[in-house]
Amino acid sequence: MAKLIIDDLHLSYGNNEILKGITATFAQGEIVALLGRSGSGKTTLLRSIAGLEEPKRGVISIGDQPVFDAAAGLNVPSEKRGLGLVFQSYALWPHKTVFENVAYGLRLRNVPKADLQQRVATVLDGVGLGHLGDRYPHQMSGGQQQRVALARALVYNPPVILLDEPLSNLDAKLREEARIWIRNLIKRMNLTAVFVTHDQVEAMAIADRIVLLDGGRIVQAGTPEQLYTEPVSLFASEFMGVNNQILSRVQDKRGGYARIDLSGIPLWGKDRAGKSVSDEATGVIRLEQVEVVDGEGENCVPAELETSVYLGSHWEHVFRCGDQMLRAFGRPLAAGTHWLHLPPEQLWVF
Amino acid sequence: MNRATRIAVIVAMAIAVLAPIGLVVYQSFLDGPFFQPKISFTLSAYEFVLDDEDFFDALYNSAVIAFGMTAIAVPVGALLAFLMTRTDLPGRRWIEPVILVPMFVSSVVLAFGFVVSLGPAGFVTLWFKSTFGFVPWYLYSKTTLIVIAGLTHVPHVFLYTSSALRSLGSDVEEAARMTGAGPLRTALTVSLPMVMPNILYAAVLVFFLGFELFGLPLVLGDPEGILVLATYLYKLTNKLGTPSYQLMAVVVVAIICIALPLVALQRFLLRAANRYVSVKGKAAAQKPVSIGVWRWPAAAMITAWLLFTVVVPLSGLVLRAFVSSWGEGVNLLDVLTLDHFRELMEFPNLTRGIVNTLLIASVGGALSVGVYTMLNLAAHRWQSGWTRLMDYLVLLPRAMPGLVAGLAIFWVFLFTPFLSPLRQTMIAIWVAYTLVWLAYGMRLVSGALLQIGPELEEAGRIVGASPGRVSRDLTIPLVKVGLFSSWLLIFVTFMREYSTGVYLLAPGTEVIGSLLVSLWGTGAVDLVTALSTVNIAMIGGGLLLMSLFGKRSHG
Repeated sequence: MAKLIIDDLHLSYGNNEILKGITATFAQGEIVALLGRSGSGKTTLLRSIAGLEEPKRGVISIGDQPVFDAAAGLNVPSEKRGLGLVFQSYALWPHKTVFENVAYGLRLRNVPKADLQQRVATVLDGVGLGHLGDRYPHQMSGGQQQRVALARALVYNPPVILLDEPLSNLDAKLREEARIWIRNLIKRMNLTAVFVTHDQVEAMAIADRIVLLDGGRIVQAGTPEQLYTEPVSLFASEFMGVNNQILSRVQDKRGGYARIDLSGIPLWGKDRAGKSVSDEATGVIRLEQVEVVDGEGENCVPAELETSVYLGSHWEHVFRCGDQMLRAFGRPLAAGTHWLHLPPEQLWVF
Repeated sequence: MNRATRIAVIVAMAIAVLAPIGLVVYQSFLDGPFFQPKISFTLSAYEFVLDDEDFFDALYNSAVIAFGMTAIAVPVGALLAFLMTRTDLPGRRWIEPVILVPMFVSSVVLAFGFVVSLGPAGFVTLWFKSTFGFVPWYLYSKTTLIVIAGLTHVPHVFLYTSSALRSLGSDVEEAARMTGAGPLRTALTVSLPMVMPNILYAAVLVFFLGFELFGLPLVLGDPEGILVLATYLYKLTNKLGTPSYQLMAVVVVAIICIALPLVALQRFLLRAANRYVSVKGKAAAQKPVSIGVWRWPAAAMITAWLLFTVVVPLSGLVLRAFVSSWGEGVNLLDVLTLDHFRELMEFPNLTRGIVNTLLIASVGGALSVGVYTMLNLAAHRWQSGWTRLMDYLVLLPRAMPGLVAGLAIFWVFLFTPFLSPLRQTMIAIWVAYTLVWLAYGMRLVSGALLQIGPELEEAGRIVGASPGRVSRDLTIPLVKVGLFSSWLLIFVTFMREYSTGVYLLAPGTEVIGSLLVSLWGTGAVDLVTALSTVNIAMIGGGLLLMSLFGKRSHG
């Protein structure tokens, strides 16, 4: 069942078009990441859902109820949409205690006192802060503040919870823990969540589905696996992982595969963009898909080992092949020439 | 606030701002006061003023004084700011609060202080004469006026330059030191150029204040007949015997025409300056630059300046209020007396003036801050043609010196039938004060409002609060401290205001400032110094409150 529907949303500031027609559906209980670079429109999209920005065209519906419909002149104000939003800066009110921060939404809904105490206590326990209700926000650590912000957004059971870069203000170690913690919490409460991030690892770790945005348009939407293993464009492939790029021309095409060359050596790869023979094309292969092999073979290139970097769990090698560089992971290697295998099904030609 | 309320507030403000100016312009084209039954449109008032040599004299004097005092105040103020914020000058802690004193004392009071101390029969003059046998200065010359005006406006330059220097991270200076520049070179090639837009802004501000000057030339220019625009306007009332409203209106129009471009220029420069400051390095830790032996001459220069602009006039004034007579050969200890204050208490209008001043500063100041807050909330987080209109409207009263605004408000109360019963009440004074300090107050309050991030209010909307509740539950409580300190500043400002009430002075609307101006005209020096001392004490109380509050909110 669709919980949140966005249909052909356009938004601009003056002549600057931020959203250029966004259409997306979010199902009940689903966690969706809006992923993109800064300026891609992801935060603007989130704020439009929250009612903090006014698009100039399109429809936003929550449940079956439209909350924004430009054609009908409908724009339900933020406070009437009943959504939860966790701000990037947390935006905790410094003059209210943690308890009061969380309770404010319930007070506005005229929840009776006993019930209110009970519900705030429950949600604070849920985020592991049950004992800190009397503190003020400035007396808490960044991680705790983030949990308060989450509790404040959850306490009145919003149909959809929105999170704006929820982890960006935490340090690296804490961020990795928080990913798992937030995902578990949202799943346990069976909430529909939309969150914005610029970090593809974070998006993959938390979300059931990723919507990749660029320049105010959706580039690709799908599960994390789909985005990682079947990117639809060079941009998507570059955004989702770490790649080798081979700049060439299409030499030949056969059965869904296209042939390019790397310093004169022919390589077959999946034809992902439907380029014609002699068009300029880019071969893309993830670093972890490049294998160092013993000898010559199909789709293999000889390459000179330039340098190796030790990264703890593995080594990263940088090879030179003619005027192009190739990187690969693997065991430690001796200096000299090595053969690299680029499997055709993993080499994408865009 | 919803849209309708916002627009209503802005429209109300537009009327309050435009009505006085409109009335002045209208009056300037009439051949008699607007309340006369038979009046017709004419340019005769303009012809009269433009034919009057005194007018051009005054215009010329204003320009010379404005240029001269800018040339004095800007270098001294900028140097002072650099010394106070960036160097290891001894005694910075206790000098800093004293620097701003000339800003908080009304300039007419300062002027009295100069007369009492440095005038031909002043304390310092007599002492100097008896010690050295001659007096190398004459207080009532144009040069002295320029020097005094320049030195008393140093705090304005100091304020803007030092705040910019403070927000400048010391990393940019350290970078210059690392590249091989010495401290002086760093100051001249990095620090000061980076705050140049702010200095420029302060220069235009001081130049503008020079054109508005009233208290200093009224007291110091009068004996030699040196007129400036504001004093010319003030004298015009008596010049023809009958109230020549149309002539006054023409002078007001002339003053506004000169001031408005300067105000617009200031606004433009301030924006440029802010843009420049915000892109600078981190302001985190600042290490003072060591200036070695130069700190002693620097400290001596600051002390001399403080002595001349603060200590000499104010101590002279207070002393004068407590002695019955003075002169060569009189031991001051023998003539100490409280008689002047007793005399003060015998005049009901003077005691009423003291009470009224307290009321207008405390209650009136609070109401004004309320008005400024309403106006700010009306434009808060709202981008539209209405808020831009408001931006420009705020500038208009800024172009009216207090004397002019007081006159315009006086006329509005005279002109509007339902307002005229209020003309001789404190309400008229309050309206005039609120209008004169509109731009200042708006900036104070908006400074407080800008401190709260937009997301704090958005978070309120998201959890279900209407715009009104957001204002009530979140915005106002968050800016409470800021509003209180705005009130303290307005309190002191209203306390020292002297020119706005001059034309509104009537039984029931006396305030200390306007009483001082009119008493000075009658030559009642005893009363003037006593009343000035009361005023200084009241302002001192306000400043004390401010510093106590500042300490508490910081620690």
